[in-house]
Amino acid sequence: MEAVHAHEHGHEHHPSGIMRWVTTTNHKDIGTLYLWFSFTMFMVGGVMALIIRSELFQPGLQVVNPDFFNQMTTLHGLIMVFGAIMPAFVGFANWQIPMMSGAPDMAFPRMNNWSFWLLPPAALLLIISLFVPGGAAAAGWTLYAPLTVQLGMGMDLTIFAVHILGMSSIMGSINIITTILNLRAPGMNMMKMPLFVWTWLITAYLLIAVMPVLAGAVTMTLTDRHFGTHFFNAAGGGDPVLFQHIFWFFGHPEVYIIAIPAFGVVSQVIPAFSRKPLFGYTSMVYATSSIAILSFLVWAHHMYTVGMPVQAQLFYMYATMLIAVPTGVKVFNWVATMWKGSLTFETPMLFAIGFLFLFTMGGFSGLVLSITPVDIQLHDTYYVVAHFHYVMVAGALFSAFAGVYFWLPKWTGRMYDETLGKWHFWLTMIFFNVTFFVQHFLGLAGMPRRIPDYALQFADFNMISSIGAFGFGLSQVFFLYIVLKAIRSGEKSPERPWEGADTLEWTMLPTPAPYHSFETPPVIK
Amino acid sequence: MECTGRGLSADFSLTAKRNDSLSAAGRHLVFCFILAVSFAISLGFALAGAWPILPFAGAEMLALYLAFQYVARHAGDYERITVEDERVVLESVDGARTVRHEFNRRWAQVVLDWARGDGHCRLALRYCGREVEFGRHLTDAEREAVAQRLRQTIRNY
Repeated sequence: MEAVHAHEHGHEHHPSGIMRWVTTTNHKDIGTLYLWFSFTMFMVGGVMALIIRSELFQPGLQVVNPDFFNQMTTLHGLIMVFGAIMPAFVGFANWQIPMMSGAPDMAFPRMNNWSFWLLPPAALLLIISLFVPGGAAAAGWTLYAPLTVQLGMGMDLTIFAVHILGMSSIMGSINIITTILNLRAPGMNMMKMPLFVWTWLITAYLLIAVMPVLAGAVTMTLTDRHFGTHFFNAAGGGDPVLFQHIFWFFGHPEVYIIAIPAFGVVSQVIPAFSRKPLFGYTSMVYATSSIAILSFLVWAHHMYTVGMPVQAQLFYMYATMLIAVPTGVKVFNWVATMWKGSLTFETPMLFAIGFLFLFTMGGFSGLVLSITPVDIQLHDTYYVVAHFHYVMVAGALFSAFAGVYFWLPKWTGRMYDETLGKWHFWLTMIFFNVTFFVQHFLGLAGMPRRIPDYALQFADFNMISSIGAFGFGLSQVFFLYIVLKAIRSGEKSPERPWEGADTLEWTMLPTPAPYHSFETPPVIK
Repeated sequence: MECTGRGLSADFSLTAKRNDSLSAAGRHLVFCFILAVSFAISLGFALAGAWPILPFAGAEMLALYLAFQYVARHAGDYERITVEDERVVLESVDGARTVRHEFNRRWAQVVLDWARGDGHCRLALRYCGREVEFGRHLTDAEREAVAQRLRQTIRNY
């Protein structure tokens, strides 16, 4: 019997144009959507930051009124956390987890499509809230009661937006957990998984654990506002401090939801450019898990000033300091990976080292704030603002930049311009520090956060910080140019542009990665 | 994925299973762990007066349970092809759905098609103008090997 070459059949209808992106269930398409969405929101949140810094350029009220200033600080925080940084790492997860674990796609591709398409309506709700009577929520991203009980309908839109964003995160987490646990290639046991995959597994657990807490918090705020309940409204016998406990039980793990995938990206980039395997892989897995577990036990360090027994203060202080141990293990391992490695300093590596340097500084200022008597002095000052921007921007954002430069050749088949990439790094590095380093001094001198006006003594450092912020913002427009240039006219990427990169997407898939990869799983020896 | 050629009474028999990297026991363990953590957190807050967290945690656990159930339902998916006497039997299990096709051995044709446009080959059996694809749990190399083996088995009757 002869082999029969049959006609091609089973033609599937693939939508084109905008419908391709609306209906896609392909993990790479959805990853791309997440990344572009997050960059768009990064720009929107960035413009809000520049409005804040314009007002703070000099003392007095020049640019916006105080209420609008408060709306900007609130929306800037919400948009950057929920709209920019989290979706950026979900974008990385979508692109990379199936390729790095040998899976054909995410476990639930249609749910994956849903997870993404919930984001634009949520973002729209947040932005529209600026134009409703009373304006957007002006209570800070922490949405503290009882202020949130009193705000206008912009607060209702914010509550719905947070609900939708939470649903998206939960669906994304379920997808990531089932994909990593069930669809790994034969032979890829848990302790062979790339660290990026590990970090996302742990992050997805954190999300699953804390998202209902956030959903409950904003729902109780909603019912306090409109349905006569008094969960947080002291006027009716409620407890505003309960809201703070609930919020920070979500909020502190949220910091690690953002930071842990960043650790994962850096753990792929540093070994690739050191041409050495990651030092202490097993200890990295355990350290990441320890950080995740400890993140549930330290929430009240955000609340020292509301008053608590000294025993509780001591517990939260020591528990917070304890996080420095697994974090120190990670920093040590990254440095040890570079030790005696054959190092080169392409843009992804520069951003990874920038992350390592600045994130460690952010960690140290966190240690300072963990000490109760010090925190009581520095609470709600610019020192805190400086601290969390060193963690969120220098930590998460620098790592995201490292990831984009590292995987762009795999995603697009094109190389970015290395010279421009290095310019982007140095501009970002310098302007970041100009913006935020001086804020430590402002905080130590007593400048409170979330104020549109300030005493004359803070004028010089605020002016420096605002100049840095504009430089930082423009540097990110330059990043957009670099990425677009690479996609449109970048040089063709070699199959393995980074000789030290040895995960599955580099060793077993062509560059650029095909639309469908690992339809039949590779066998890992 | 698991491919086995079984001798037994049949001339040729092959079972191909989808790859599932987590055992049923592992799935239970993972789900129970997440359920316990989520329940403990939401119960703690409920006792402190913030009971609306509990239904959200419940809804989330239900969604996770359904996702795990779906995965479990498809964990046993397999395809089996058996050549015995005059018959070629193709059996495919997809979740709760079992599909069985029978072909006359003398008239069955093995189709190995590289023209599907995505760089992978397609393996099918053709008989009386109808074509049934199989081998979705196999790699390209395995599909080629199975096609060759099937042709030999069918030809040698």
